[in-house]
Amino acid sequence: MEKQHRPSELLATLKRLRFGMAVAVPDSWLGEILVRINDDGAMQLVRATHEEEALAIACGARLGGLRTAMFVQNAGLLSMGAGMVCLAQRYQFPLLILVSYRGTPDDPIFYHIPKGRATEPVITGLGLAHCRSDRTRPIGPQIEAAASFAEESSTPFAVLLSREDVQW
Amino acid sequence: MVSPPSPTRQDYYAVLADLLPERALVVTALGNASYLWSVVRDRPENFYFEDAMGLALPLAVGLALAQHSRPVFVVEGDGGLFMHMGALVTLGAAAPRNLTVLLIQNGVHAASGGQPLTNASLDLAQLARAAGIPNTKNVTGLDDFAPALRSALGTNGPRFLVLRTEPDVNVVRPSIAFDPVMTKHRFTTAIGAPVYTPTLFGGGLTHQ
Repeated sequence: MEKQHRPSELLATLKRLRFGMAVAVPDSWLGEILVRINDDGAMQLVRATHEEEALAIACGARLGGLRTAMFVQNAGLLSMGAGMVCLAQRYQFPLLILVSYRGTPDDPIFYHIPKGRATEPVITGLGLAHCRSDRTRPIGPQIEAAASFAEESSTPFAVLLSREDVQW
Repeated sequence: MVSPPSPTRQDYYAVLADLLPERALVVTALGNASYLWSVVRDRPENFYFEDAMGLALPLAVGLALAQHSRPVFVVEGDGGLFMHMGALVTLGAAAPRNLTVLLIQNGVHAASGGQPLTNASLDLAQLARAAGIPNTKNVTGLDDFAPALRSALGTNGPRFLVLRTEPDVNVVRPSIAFDPVMTKHRFTTAIGAPVYTPTLFGGGLTHQ
């Protein structure tokens, strides 16, 4: 059976679910997928300067009726805490946050490791609903389930992605 | 020679209420920016911040891009702008033509009691121009505001008007309950934003 190209499957899922906007702060794993989003044109791509700013842009787009996904590195989850609790969660914005999960045992780069170690305890403390992607299963249904969770719970939901999920 | 006092936020809000286009959407930052606007002109198309300092401007960028056929206004303060100055760069790059930023420059953190800003005298219109927003102006007095606003609305945005005001540190009692979820639902209902249908009933976003 032919192996699926997981980043392609991820993007195809977002398009099928009619996501209208992607708000992003890049990471080396995310560089090419953002180029693909921009070139494809089905989703409007907004490149933000900071992840908390990106979160606010995503809230605004959702307020205006666009289903919106964010693409950030896990460093961004660590730096968007106030906006997460005071805006996105407080006003109950359903957002899909797609996170390149750096600094795990699968990505043992010395300067990412501190972020990898802190990410899940911090976002658990923030009350941010999340899951890690399962590399043994297709990524598309996992993204769809996460997007549904965000909508059904009226809250942001983060998917912590591995390299093969997003790096083109 | 003694300079005349700067106008107050209330002075500017009175003009804005008079000139606000019918279909406009208005985002107001935390504190009196929201409390006072609810008193002057409460309407379902207002989105009031209760906290999240510095995030009113980027939220308005996302809203303006999503609702590109409606004029969008955001009232942000100089302290809020300083907390997320990168949002100016994003605004310049994304360049939503329907967005007007009204930047209250009072030189203090008014919502937290009037503590001085790191720098209270920057030329914020010049700062916005440097960030890629050509349509900017430092409004020098109340008499200049209405013409500046009319002129700005006659041109493509984004527009960035800096309103020098006296600090207003006394908390204004808002005219409505500041329930964030109610605020959001009232807003999305007013603009006819699509509503999510639970998966049990088919799923997806549908227009009302």
